[in-house]
Amino acid sequence: MNKKIIAIIVVILAAVLLYAGYQAFLAPKGTEGSKEVTIQIVIEKENINETFTYKTDHEFLTDLMKEKQEELGASFESFDFGTMITGLMKYKVDPNSEFFLFQVNGEDSMVGTDDTPIQDGDVYKFILSTF
Amino acid sequence: MKIRDIVLAGILSAATTAGKLALSFVPNVEIVTLFFIVFTTTLGIKRSLMVAMVFVTTEILIYGFSTWVIGYYLIWPMLVLIVSALSKRVSSEYGYAATGALFGFFYGMFFAITESFFYGPAYGLAYWINGLTFDLVHGVSNFIIILLLYKPLRKMMDTSLKHYYNSAS
Repeated sequence: MNKKIIAIIVVILAAVLLYAGYQAFLAPKGTEGSKEVTIQIVIEKENINETFTYKTDHEFLTDLMKEKQEELGASFESFDFGTMITGLMKYKVDPNSEFFLFQVNGEDSMVGTDDTPIQDGDVYKFILSTF
Repeated sequence: MKIRDIVLAGILSAATTAGKLALSFVPNVEIVTLFFIVFTTTLGIKRSLMVAMVFVTTEILIYGFSTWVIGYYLIWPMLVLIVSALSKRVSSEYGYAATGALFGFFYGMFFAITESFFYGPAYGLAYWINGLTFDLVHGVSNFIIILLLYKPLRKMMDTSLKHYYNSAS
């Protein structure tokens, strides 16, 4: 039994080291301080094209969007993999055919808003799209 | 394939589903990997593959149809095939615990590959990196669970299977 406990401790220690490495090199990092960012929401079928500019100290976009939830008319749903934006400007997506395409500085984002660090001058664009 | 094998596949896949649901409140901690390792080493490849197929089909009935279904239909039979190939050389629980740990570590990567066929490699890469900490938990918990429970469960399965098949004749 002792041998098994040692093996378990070794594996846990190795995992802690790997986690530290992940946090240091791979995990997205935010920068603190006052940052000015723009959020643009495009819902063509409702003729909505709104732009908001915010100064924020939040590190990640979800936190900012939750703070400005009322102004953005945003609704969220939490899943194991992170937060999903289910509505903007009080428009709720049809989960069977629609989603908000999320772009950062004109490029499709590879991660969700939970993992998008807020950088000064960033433009975040949400476009209602269908699949 | 005898009727008893078919019934056994149903019972074991139900047990696997129940075990998965019982631990579903802890993200990425599961006993499905342990079960399939024990099934493969006691029942052999053919019957274990049948259990895996019934298990995955049950998952679809519970959670609905989506892109993960394809990965799921591949990953559990793949584990059965890997364990079956290893079982000729590995007999100790340490070997299976290490296999389970590696399976957990690469679980997210496997799904990232299948997802990238639908949404592109950039999405697949983001999906994988985003889930790395979950994979870490998955691998470590698999190692601990298999190391501690493989032997007693294997013993129990051997005894139960002996009774099950002897009572058939």
